[in-house]
Formats: sequence, C-alpha cells, structure tokens
Amino acid sequence: MRTAEFRQGVRAWLDGNDLTPPPDHSLDAQVAQLARVRAALWDADWMRHGWPRAVGGLGGDGTLRAVLGEEVASRALAEPGIWSMVEVLVPTVVDYAPPALAAEMVPRLLSGREQWCQGFSEPGSGSDLASLSTRAVPDGDGWVVSGQKVWTSLAQYAARCVLLARTGGPGHAGISAFLVDMDSPGVTVRPLRTMHGVDEFAEVFLDGVRVPAHRMLGAPGDGWRLAMDLLPHERSTCFWHRVAHLYGTLDRLLADGCEPDPDALGAVWLDLHSVRCRSAATQRRQAEGGRLGPETSVDKILLATAEQRLFDTARELLPGTVELAEDATWRTGYLYARAATIYGGTAEIQRNIVARRLLGLGKE
Amino acid sequence: MDSAEHGLLEEALRRTMTTAEPGAGLDSALAGLGWTQMLAEEPDTAVPLVFRLLGETGARAAVLNDVVLRAAGRPVGGTLPLPYAGGVWVEWARDGSPAGSALDPGLPLRRVDPGEAVPLAAGRRALGWWLLGTGRAMLELAREHVLDRQQFGRPLASFQALRHRLAEAFVALEGAEAALAAAEDDTGSLLAKAVAGRAALTAARHCQQALGGIGFTAEHALHRHVRRALVLDGLLGSTRELTREAGALLLREGRARRLVDL
Repeated sequence: MRTAEFRQGVRAWLDGNDLTPPPDHSLDAQVAQLARVRAALWDADWMRHGWPRAVGGLGGDGTLRAVLGEEVASRALAEPGIWSMVEVLVPTVVDYAPPALAAEMVPRLLSGREQWCQGFSEPGSGSDLASLSTRAVPDGDGWVVSGQKVWTSLAQYAARCVLLARTGGPGHAGISAFLVDMDSPGVTVRPLRTMHGVDEFAEVFLDGVRVPAHRMLGAPGDGWRLAMDLLPHERSTCFWHRVAHLYGTLDRLLADGCEPDPDALGAVWLDLHSVRCRSAATQRRQAEGGRLGPETSVDKILLATAEQRLFDTARELLPGTVELAEDATWRTGYLYARAATIYGGTAEIQRNIVARRLLGLGKE
Repeated sequence: MDSAEHGLLEEALRRTMTTAEPGAGLDSALAGLGWTQMLAEEPDTAVPLVFRLLGETGARAAVLNDVVLRAAGRPVGGTLPLPYAGGVWVEWARDGSPAGSALDPGLPLRRVDPGEAVPLAAGRRALGWWLLGTGRAMLELAREHVLDRQQFGRPLASFQALRHRLAEAFVALEGAEAALAAAEDDTGSLLAKAVAGRAALTAARHCQQALGGIGFTAEHALHRHVRRALVLDGLLGSTRELTREAGALLLREGRARRLVDL
C-alpha cells in the first residue's frame, strides 16, 4: 500500500474509532491504553502493515509503521516511548529467532496481548555494554542464566525479555541473546523510582533461570551483532514517532498561552524542523534498501538536542507551570527530557562515534 | 542529470572555482560552463551544487544576483538591491570593483538605497548552500589540523574535548543539509537558511578553537571562511532575524507546520 493512501486510511479510521485515553496518567493506565490501542489497530489490520507476512504482518516497508506511529503520537493515543518499543523488539526477533518461534510470539506482542522488554544494560555495564556480566551456562538441553539487568522498560508488565548474556569469554564475541519468559522461576522484577515519577524502568534479577535451547536468538556469540543491528530500527521509525510527539508538544505550548517570545519559539522550531528533515531522509534511504550505520548518531544527537530545547523553552515560557501546576503533564515531560541525552547511547557516546567513524579522527 | 553526469559537473565546477580569478573572472568562467542555461533548466541541481562549492572552495562569484533575478522573473546577468540584516540594503557588484564589504574584502557588497521587494526563497536557499559549504571548508581545515598537530606527544585529534567540538560542528552541518535538501516553499527556505547560518557560525566557533593560534593568523585560510560566513549570514535575513520570523509565524498560526512528510 502506498504511504499517502495508508496515511489517509489510518486517519479516516481513527476519526471514526474513538481511542482517546482515559484521564488516568498512571503507568498502569498507560500500559493498559497501549494494549487497547494496539489490539484495536491489529484487529483493524493497520498494525499489521510494514511487518513480514511470516509473523502475521501484511508486508510493505517500515515507512508505513512510521506513519501509523506518527498518527498515534499526534493524537496522543498512547505514550510514544512505550509505543515505539515494538520497533526494536520485533525486527530483532524476526531476524534472529528460529522462524517458528518468531511466528508464534510476534503476533502476541503486535496485537497488544503481551508486553515485552529488552534486558541489555546492567549495573556495571551502561555505556560500556560489551562488558556485561550476566552469564548463561549450558545445562542439558538449554541454558541457565544468572545476573542482573537494569533500566529495563516495562519489565514489570512484560511476558518476555530479549536478553543479552555472556556465553563465552570477555568482550563482544562472548555475548549471546535469548528470548526469555518473564514468568520463569528465578526472575524477579523490582521497578525503579525515577525522577519524573513514572516508574517505567525496572531492575531484573536472574537467579538460575532455565532457558530452553531453541530460545537462543541467533547462534552463540551473535548477541553483540544483534544489539548493533537494532540501532537502525530504533533510529528510523522510533525517531519519527518521537519527532511527531515533539511537534505535538510544541503545538500544545502555543495552545497553552505561552509567553509570545518569537526568538525562543523560532529556535525550537528550527531544531524540530532539522531533525524531521534528517529523519525523513534517513527513512527514505532505508526504504530504498540502504543500510543504516554510524551516521544515525547524527539523528540521535539532533533529536536529543531538540527535545531538551523544547522542554527548556516550555519551562521558561510557561513560568511556574513545571514547578507548581496541578496537572503534571509539563512537569513530567520536562523531567523526562533530562534523560534524552542519556538513554539509547549517551550524548558523549554519540559524539565519540561521530568523531571516530564519520570524521575519521582515529582513536582517542 | 544522472549521478555520473552530476559527478563530472561537480568536478568541472570545483576545478574552475579553484583556478579562475575570483569575482568577475569566475563569473565569466561559470558562464562558459553554461551557468545561465543550468539555472534556467535544472535549478534544483545547479543551485545547490554551485553554491555549496563556492563555500567549500572559498571562491566567489556574483551568481546570487542571477538566482534572485530569475525568481523575480527578470533577465539574469545584472544586479539588484538585496535586503541585508538590520533593514539595510546592499548591491552585489559585478563590475569587478575592488571595494568589498568591510569584514570580507572578497565580497563586493556596497550599501545602496532601499530597493523594491524581491522574492527571497530561492536566494535564501542558495545562500544556505553557500553557508553549508563554508562550514564544511572550516571543518575540513580543523580536521586536518587536529590530525597533524602533536602536543603532549600525541595528535590533538586524540583529545576528547576537541573531538566533541568537531562532532558538534559536523552534526550542525548535517542538520542544515537535511533542511536545505527539503526546502521548497517560502517557509522551508526561511528555516533552511536560518539553520544553515546557525550551523556555519557553530562550525566557525568550534573550528576556530580547534585550530588554536594558527587559525588566528592571516596566513591560515580559516579567517577567510569565518569572514565569509559572518557576511553571508546577514544577506536576505540573518539567522537571528529569520529565527524570530519563524517564531512569529508560529505565534500567528498557533501551530507548527510539518513541512516534510514521508
């Protein structure tokens, strides 16, 4: 289906099917709303476009998913961060899981019946992910996993986890990936309290968790490649969704009667416009079969910069709102934007990549 | 034009710009390469290419006049009063007169009485590409310098503080290129020039710092690009003015236009 036709169809369908979220802003309500929106869009087939037929999709390229997510974000039907998680999880499972496992599991996620999480970061391995120490040791027809994960979004709601664990020696080559059932004995989840008040991240403790052999994603040692392969997914459709959300936020700033400071507002628009143009070009390249690589660090830096400028400006032009308002919307957004230069690879890591890979400055 | 032809044209233009005598000499050399015809028949290819290369090579020609004249539906080859920052008007002379602008002696801009309103979008896009090229030229100078120069027994390029400055300049220029490539209408052109001006000034700041003392001397090429970026930024509206105009448009419409789509 062509992009323009798809967009029109989605808009018309959403106009006729009210999926407005309830006024409850708790995380439980957000996750319930996410499941509700996914289920409705899956049943109406919109959620199937852009995914392979082998996992219940209807084919077509990822641009269709970018457009669907943009419509969902523009209408604030679901929280954009958790909406976009499938963009990373599904391609990973499609590319690395045994086909039968992908065909069985993926529809559960896309249809909203399940949430999944991604167990990568550890207390001792943040920016230096390749040093992770959660271990998987062979045990009969399977593996036994022990260790600890952190910053695992939605772990407390998740039925499965795409998990990185060490099966070999130190460094990149010793890492493997698994699809782990979160109700396995030995898995404990403890939500983290965060500064923005939405406890979407959790710690995950793995204590002798048995994982069947067919739940390995790829071959032993493929874990690092899997982690690198998901970056382009995160930085195409996910970013487009986020940009749509930020445009909606700028519109809300104008609608909320902000101080009419054209210099500050213009600067915000410049940033959003730059990252939107960049992201559109990135997705065109991907849709034409191009392979995305380190140049997507540019998209990441532009996006984080735009997000922080937007919320910093909102705080200044709506004086007292972030600090005092009963309605927490601006407060939450402002505080969450502090993390934009930290999650998904810090601003410093991105600049390191730009310097090394794009500017050819050699090693530090 | 396919990509092979585009590559050949780029090569020919770059050679011409680095060898022709700046100013009137380059104007006639560009005419010899078919500038007028390119502008008439393939402006979307010719303008980004020619103006970006003017920036990258540090060359100068009076071709901005042609872009604005064509947009105004007037014959190319002459000059016309152009708005500059602060409500001033200037003319970009083509007669080879030596008097350049005070800051950039290479650019023959002289103040004139206010002229009649001219269409700005095409000229802003062209200047945006020039600013992008100027920014790229500065970044390349800084890149070579940090790779070559050793202090404390290792190349400057190995120090993270400098790597991050140059990364910052690169990201700003990439964002500008994306906005320029997507610019079509008046608003898109306004935003693109503002983003490009901002990126060039960001590049100037970081590259100047990375080049240290040598970048402050007149014998190093950097200062010519810095001067050019500052002067071009003011032409047809400065970054500051265009950013403010964009903000005023937001306030008027109560909504941010989404100018590009998938």
